[in-house]
Amino acid sequence: MSLDNMNRRQVLQRVAYLMGGAVSAPAVLGLLNGCAPKQEASNWQPVFFSKEQGAIVAEVADIIIPRTKTPGAKDVGVPGFIDTMLKDVYEQDDRDRYLAGLKEFDDAARKAHGKPFVELSKAQQIEQVKQFNDDAIATELSYDPRPKNLKRPFILLTRELTLLGFFCSEPGATQVLQYVAVPGGFQACVPVTEAGNGKAWASEAMGRF
Amino acid sequence: MNENSYDAIVVGTGISGGWAAKELTEKGLKTLVLDRGRMVRHVQDYPTATTDMWDFPYAGRATAEEMKRHETAARTGYAITQATKHWWVDDTEFPYTEKQRFDWIRGYHVGGRSIMWGRQSYRWSPMDFEANAKDGIAVDWPIRYDDLAPWYDHVEQFIGVSGQNEGSAQLPDGKFLPPMEMNCVEKHFKQQVSDKMGRLVTIGRVAHLTAPLAHSPQRGTCQYRNMCIRGCPYGAYFSSQSSTLPAAEKTGNMTLKPNSIVYEIIYDEKKERATGVRVLDAETRQQTDYFAKVIFLCASTFGSTYIMMNSTSSRFPNGFGNDSGELGCNIMDHQLEIGARAMVDGFDDKYYTGRRPNGIYIPRYRNVGKDKRDYLRGFGYQGGASRGGWTGLMLDTKIGEELKDRAAEPGPWYMGLGGFGEILPYHENRVTMDTSKKDKYGMPVLAFDAVLRQNELAMRKDMANDAAEMLEAAGYRNVRSYDREMGIGLGIHEMGTARMGRDPKTSVLNAFNQVHACKNVYVTDGSCMTSAACQNPSLTYMALTARACNHAVEELKRMNI
Repeated sequence: MSLDNMNRRQVLQRVAYLMGGAVSAPAVLGLLNGCAPKQEASNWQPVFFSKEQGAIVAEVADIIIPRTKTPGAKDVGVPGFIDTMLKDVYEQDDRDRYLAGLKEFDDAARKAHGKPFVELSKAQQIEQVKQFNDDAIATELSYDPRPKNLKRPFILLTRELTLLGFFCSEPGATQVLQYVAVPGGFQACVPVTEAGNGKAWASEAMGRF
Repeated sequence: MNENSYDAIVVGTGISGGWAAKELTEKGLKTLVLDRGRMVRHVQDYPTATTDMWDFPYAGRATAEEMKRHETAARTGYAITQATKHWWVDDTEFPYTEKQRFDWIRGYHVGGRSIMWGRQSYRWSPMDFEANAKDGIAVDWPIRYDDLAPWYDHVEQFIGVSGQNEGSAQLPDGKFLPPMEMNCVEKHFKQQVSDKMGRLVTIGRVAHLTAPLAHSPQRGTCQYRNMCIRGCPYGAYFSSQSSTLPAAEKTGNMTLKPNSIVYEIIYDEKKERATGVRVLDAETRQQTDYFAKVIFLCASTFGSTYIMMNSTSSRFPNGFGNDSGELGCNIMDHQLEIGARAMVDGFDDKYYTGRRPNGIYIPRYRNVGKDKRDYLRGFGYQGGASRGGWTGLMLDTKIGEELKDRAAEPGPWYMGLGGFGEILPYHENRVTMDTSKKDKYGMPVLAFDAVLRQNELAMRKDMANDAAEMLEAAGYRNVRSYDREMGIGLGIHEMGTARMGRDPKTSVLNAFNQVHACKNVYVTDGSCMTSAACQNPSLTYMALTARACNHAVEELKRMNI
């Protein structure tokens, strides 16, 4: 049996186990194609964030990558991912800056609408995310040269971690992008339409981007 | 003969040690092979080899604590991830001293860095072996290309090197498996650089099987996963585990002992020869002496140098074989972190499938033929073209469905070139023992004092400019050159601290890698190198090791050692 098949079988077994074992093969394949969020995604309990902070981050992440025909940031567990990343991968000053930025972000909602961010209408939330996003990107693009140890504000660190968590998740990598664990060969130059399903290949991202 | 006696002892199991183990055992010597680190069995001890990216925590990134434990390896930017962190030394257990930034990037386990190496495999050219004599730099190599050519043939045919013969004088042809293919942009670039600048662009020569090897049926061909650094479950690239250690094992002549830290060579002053090595068991801390007729030090450049510096006696008060005072001096590496990148239009309807674990190579052209620069030697480039992905959307203002749709489309084409430049051997670039600091076992540590000097800095200007110039000549846009700070060692091509030479007064080793003053000790890792050239050095270590093993066995037969 090839390793690819072995992995696929392990995945199927894992999903079947989560569902209590009593699932038919087509249902399992449906799951693999992304009908259901990961267990941890729906029952997420923040470790680093407070419940309120976690709720804001979850909404922002889901506005950046919403559910469409394919799963969105919340479906694949991005809020929990950001929580864990800040706790274990980032340093204390990054955490402090992030939480201060998060508070400013929520304060902006209260100032504009007299309500916390999570209580705004979807349209108002999207509007605010867009505005913070566009302003922060314009600022970062204006640096010349770009600072060596660039410290990204709340909205852009959330964007970075949402992209990272989403496109490295199985649904992100295999449904929005395409991924083949064992390509088996290399076709150096083919029309895009003949390169698998023609979508961008998923790839790991280790550095800042 | 007691139970701790063998015909030969090999210290280290990386690229050089694996080769020494194979050659000596195949020639019939009962060989003890020692490694300071844990056992790593082929395939079963590659814990992440088939893990999909979503099964790693933190999207594969290392935690802040892991980055601190592996602070020097983390300087590479790629070595410390959830997929690879287990291959690198914990700096908190095995510290070293750096007078200036020095990147000593180590792997302490059976197989050494043959598991994590870049697999680029280039011969040196006649020009490289003649360079020191011609330029009046350091000392002359005691060998020439023709001495090594048959051994290059030997090692290429055994390990399997995929590449394209080009008839280039500065990058000799070899015994290659079929080349990997260039993608459309790389082919365009090759043509443009050839037409407009008369320079050669070739596909990287890599130690990957692009066709089966009859003599190694246990190895499979490359599956284009590009996860090589985790260890290959197909054995498709050369490592000690996939290639040389199984060959040594098959002879029945190898005794492999992991967790065996060699800290001293035992020297018999009456016989004027080394009789064995002292070993500290990394687990039990028990000390044991092992004996042999011939000893091969293949513990990596600074590993072997450390053992020699730590082996003092009344005959060798300044370190084993160090009559010349050159032991620990002449540290070399390749300078990198410099090059250029550009966007390429006109190929948006083209893509590729599979992840080719290789790029393109531009052999040295500076100070070759009629070209004369204001510095000595030169550099080559490694690089390649690929299409961008979602990481390129970080500073795109799109959000929501638009962002998802955009991420699903293959991004723009980029072509990048990164220079690998020669560093000259300077006596002042050196490593010494620092007895004020101790490692986990209470052993003194190494202290590095090495910098890039005027010749290297002058070369760097060309390395950045030439890369940009070639990308511009090819008609690409947004050409950006870069020049980032590096510590010597970052190339992980450290060399030179027990150099070969013709004169025992100015070198540590002779033309066959024997210690001048103690002929039954051979040193065949990067420490033997007399100059650095600009090609990746591993293939040359393999060829030198195989040649030295052949010499040792002949000398044993002739009763000369």
